[in-house]
Amino acid sequence: MGLVDKGRLPAPLTKLFNMSRSYSLWVYQWGLACCAIEMGAAFGSPRYDVMRLGVIPLPASPRQADFVCVSGTVTDKMAPAVKRLWEQMPEPKYAISMGSCANCGGPYWDSYSVTKGVDQIIPIDVYVPGCPPRPEALLEGIVLLQQRIKNEDMAAKWRGDEFTTLQRTRAVDAGEVDRDGELISATHSVSEDPTPDEAQTKPVYPPQPIIVGGGPIE
Amino acid sequence: MAPLSDDTSTETEAPAALPGDGLREGIIDNLRSHIGDAIVDTKITPNDDLWIRVTTEGWLAAGQALKDAGFTYFCFLSAIDWMPSPYGTGENDPDAEQKEPDTEIVQGYTGGETRMQVFARVSDLSRHVGVTLKADVPDDRSVMESWSRLYAGANWHERECHEMFGIGFDNHPDLRNMYLPGDFEGYPLRKDFPLLARMVKPWPGIVDVEPMPAQDEEEAPAEEKAAES
Amino acid sequence: MTLTDRQQLSYIASQAADARLNVELETEGMTLNIGPQHPATHGTLRIICRLDGEQVVWAEPVAGYMHRGYEKLTEVRTFPQVTSLVNRIDWLGSFANEVPFILAAEKLMEIEAPPRAQVIRTILFELSRIANVSLFLGDLGVQMGAITPVFLAFRDREYILNLIEGATGGRFHPNFDRIGGLKDDLPKGWIAETRGAVKKLEEFCDTIDDLLFGNEIFQSRMRGIGIIPADIAKDYGLSGANARASGIDWDLRRDQDLPLSYDLADWKVWTHPDGDSWARCWIRLQETRESCKIVAQLLDQIPAGPVMTKVPRIIKVPEGEAWVATENPLGEMGYYVVSKGGLGPFRVKIRSASFNNISIVPWALKGVYVPDVITILASLYFILGDIDR
Repeated sequence: MGLVDKGRLPAPLTKLFNMSRSYSLWVYQWGLACCAIEMGAAFGSPRYDVMRLGVIPLPASPRQADFVCVSGTVTDKMAPAVKRLWEQMPEPKYAISMGSCANCGGPYWDSYSVTKGVDQIIPIDVYVPGCPPRPEALLEGIVLLQQRIKNEDMAAKWRGDEFTTLQRTRAVDAGEVDRDGELISATHSVSEDPTPDEAQTKPVYPPQPIIVGGGPIE
Repeated sequence: MAPLSDDTSTETEAPAALPGDGLREGIIDNLRSHIGDAIVDTKITPNDDLWIRVTTEGWLAAGQALKDAGFTYFCFLSAIDWMPSPYGTGENDPDAEQKEPDTEIVQGYTGGETRMQVFARVSDLSRHVGVTLKADVPDDRSVMESWSRLYAGANWHERECHEMFGIGFDNHPDLRNMYLPGDFEGYPLRKDFPLLARMVKPWPGIVDVEPMPAQDEEEAPAEEKAAES
Repeated sequence: MTLTDRQQLSYIASQAADARLNVELETEGMTLNIGPQHPATHGTLRIICRLDGEQVVWAEPVAGYMHRGYEKLTEVRTFPQVTSLVNRIDWLGSFANEVPFILAAEKLMEIEAPPRAQVIRTILFELSRIANVSLFLGDLGVQMGAITPVFLAFRDREYILNLIEGATGGRFHPNFDRIGGLKDDLPKGWIAETRGAVKKLEEFCDTIDDLLFGNEIFQSRMRGIGIIPADIAKDYGLSGANARASGIDWDLRRDQDLPLSYDLADWKVWTHPDGDSWARCWIRLQETRESCKIVAQLLDQIPAGPVMTKVPRIIKVPEGEAWVATENPLGEMGYYVVSKGGLGPFRVKIRSASFNNISIVPWALKGVYVPDVITILASLYFILGDIDR
């Protein structure tokens, strides 16, 4: 894929590849606790079927997975296993953190044996809050992840950049933002602290992780 | 403590439940005939429950006597640390003035003389009765005899008790960590083990004194009266 | 020609191997690590097995991958907060976790919930038992490669979860029990809907009976495997269906005098003399049917009245110690609550059923073949939150 890593993929092909990638995701369920049951209901039950989104559960191994859905409490004893699992997955890979325990430690925020959020171990793309989140909430998280993938610059992902949206790449190419995210020119009006209304119209650099059902992090 | 319901009948599934709870008194007498003065104190709540405290040396003998008396079902074994937590219970607003934390060690039912006590519960399934057995753990050398050869289930419970409280168990076949990773330092369930997340970010107080949104005005004074009584 | 160290070592090893083969055909033991992430371990349980060929010589479960420190956390929370936390121990039958804790607190306060609340508590308790065990019945097939029952289980569980959500607001983790009663009364139409749902669950039990329990493969993989005699079961503290499958006639719903309404319904306790895996699974199936019967009978007998006694807004539970255990879906779950008159407990010892149920695994897995390891674990039925707390 010489076009991808050189960043010379034409826009229609980017759109095609992103669309196909987002509609053929293979999800590895890292189900630890109660959220695993809701994840099972979302993935396995005929009511909240996830396959209609193009997402297939139950890969044979993490090496065949596109993204991992970490659901449930991550304890300090389990954390090395999560890290090892993440390292086993090949790029491009994404992660959804499901439930409050995986987001931030949840109801066990003060426990001596709980990792306060799986994002201390692996980088997360979508946070799905809830205790446990309804299967529909997880499905919304997956839809948002699909939107993120559709909006992704594959060259940036290949390079391993932290921010991979197409808008970012366009802004870098237009000379408004440099590679590290510092604003060079002010042709885009970017306010320091965007309110939820403003965030709809004005793009925010760097893009915040997507939280289901909420606005930007305040 | 008074029985829960107004019903004074003692009709249960179990045989021989006499008024005045002869069943439980009979258990104590039976135990006393086997281990004699190892029993330090007892407490019966009639037709409800039974607590017996034994000496540290009589811990294993008491367990053996109970097992011979028909208490073959092993429920659990654990410990209590009676020292009040020096870090408080997080009930009060951290910004408000803190009063002096209580440091007096007061044990519960059947008393005690040491900071930590082990307690275990065994049941007799045919007579539908259970006993909570307690014993002091000596402050200077916190080691007890192991029950694992007596009740096989005590093996795991003693492992957990050891890693949570730091109480050793003599003659235990394999006393290593049950839950915590191998490099964990400290004994978490001791009261002087701090929860670090609470040290860093204390809970902003517990009591919510705002009235509930749908509360009627007439009900509020009645509730205040109930709270005062 | 000089050999590298590695070449020398491999040469020596091959000579030794030849020598061994010439003497006797010797096999080496293998250490098999099942878990902590494995579809068959119901969560993050790790079993280390030492094998001799296909037979297990020595097995050991390593728990603690879901240890969240419940007993320490309860010391810094108030009673209502502990109730909401405690829901998450046995996360499939979650209302059932709250009940013994609330009963222990009510015992210390010397109050009783009003009769309407007691009956509704019992109904919700049995509904959570049905929800829990129906997933067990579905999962049972997956352990052996039969995937269909899981989908049936998830579909039929949705009826129960809808009911619990309708009454309490949460599909899982209802957090509905309060000291002195329940949070709210039942919504309109709930009773009729529950009757319908219970009928559907009875049909589900019959379907699973046909699909699984009558199946030859299931029977040959479960009958006679993992026999646990009654005295060993009592020694380890096995409870619930595991104990009743070994012939121990003991059910805390019947044999205790708690303020729950089991005496209003006509139901029976199932036991089985065999003590093998099949018996454990079969007893759970029968118990689910029995629970459906209990719910159907209790629905006709809900008395009118309040659902909450008069308790102060800020509850301080008086000093004392109380032990309450109930027959939870997994077994005997009990709370030993020590209170010192504060807003929260001083110490709570959580006696969870699966901890004792899994402590028998080293004993039960000796000499067993590897596929039977999975089925024995499946039949013992544990939830990781219950083992690890």
